Amino acid sequence: MKLFALLKTRFVVWVWNHTPTCAEMSRLTSRALEQPLSLRMRVKMRLHFVICAWCRRYFEQLNFLHEHAPRLGVQFETAAVRGLSPDAKQRIKAGVRKNLTPAL
Amino acid sequence: MSVESQIAAVPMPELPASPASPAPAPRLSDPERWVDEHGDYLFKYALSRLRDPVKAEDAVQETFLAALKGGKDFEGRSAEKSWLVGILKNKICDHYRKAGRETSFTDLEFYKDEESDRFIPDGPFKDGWIHELGPQEWNSPGASLDSEVFWQTYRDCSNKLPKNVATVFNLREVDGIESKEICAMLNISENNLWVMLHRARMALRRCLETNWFGKPEGTR
Repeated sequence: MKLFALLKTRFVVWVWNHTPTCAEMSRLTSRALEQPLSLRMRVKMRLHFVICAWCRRYFEQLNFLHEHAPRLGVQFETAAVRGLSPDAKQRIKAGVRKNLTPAL
Repeated sequence: MSVESQIAAVPMPELPASPASPAPAPRLSDPERWVDEHGDYLFKYALSRLRDPVKAEDAVQETFLAALKGGKDFEGRSAEKSWLVGILKNKICDHYRKAGRETSFTDLEFYKDEESDRFIPDGPFKDGWIHELGPQEWNSPGASLDSEVFWQTYRDCSNKLPKNVATVFNLREVDGIESKEICAMLNISENNLWVMLHRARMALRRCLETNWFGKPEGTR
């Protein structure tokens, strides 16, 4: 049991020393959404995930938010902001009319 | 749909009744109906991107003008709204292009401290997550997607981002435009874009954890 604990500590320290820091991991997680990382870097990240639940969660959560962000763009009907005021609607109608009339 | 807009949506009598006939080109009467039917949506969209009611109103007006002038490109009324939204998106991008030429879009000060505050400052585990401040387990994130309040929270969080950072985030994450295209549009370097996106995502993740995922289900 003691030997197992010792090996585990050794392993964690080894991985920590051979993979990016968590601060670096958070940057890489975001970078990976912009361009493919090298195989070497991806392997290092996977290895880091083995010893670090925080970076693993960060990776999963960032990918989750990235994947579903496009839906933010179609949520405007329910947005809690006011739409156009009646005055603004009249202004726009008048503006469009004014800009078109000379052409007719 | 309100009663007024339903009335406004009744087709004019001179419209061709047969579905086989080609879609009529937009006419002068259309903008009135457009404003009533789609004005609010377009305005909210523009406001969420431009964060300025005056500029948003201008963008909506320009959209209707461009729609009237380019009416021949428009096919079928069913897709009218997405057609108008497409024009509005272009108008908003024009606005960004202009702003990118006039001022710097780069905002690298934002959240600089917040970023380093979450990591261990020194010792053998320097730059590791401080355990209490690191990402927590999220409880069934998939189920949140069906919640109106979740989307409201997501939107509120993205509205808290500084203006230029939010612009970058919306173009990249919401519209899905490629990095290189955004850099060209806003006149910023790719590296600066990456830093801004990294901080924006970090801040949003944190905000959603605090205001949604970290709360017990009953109190959301």
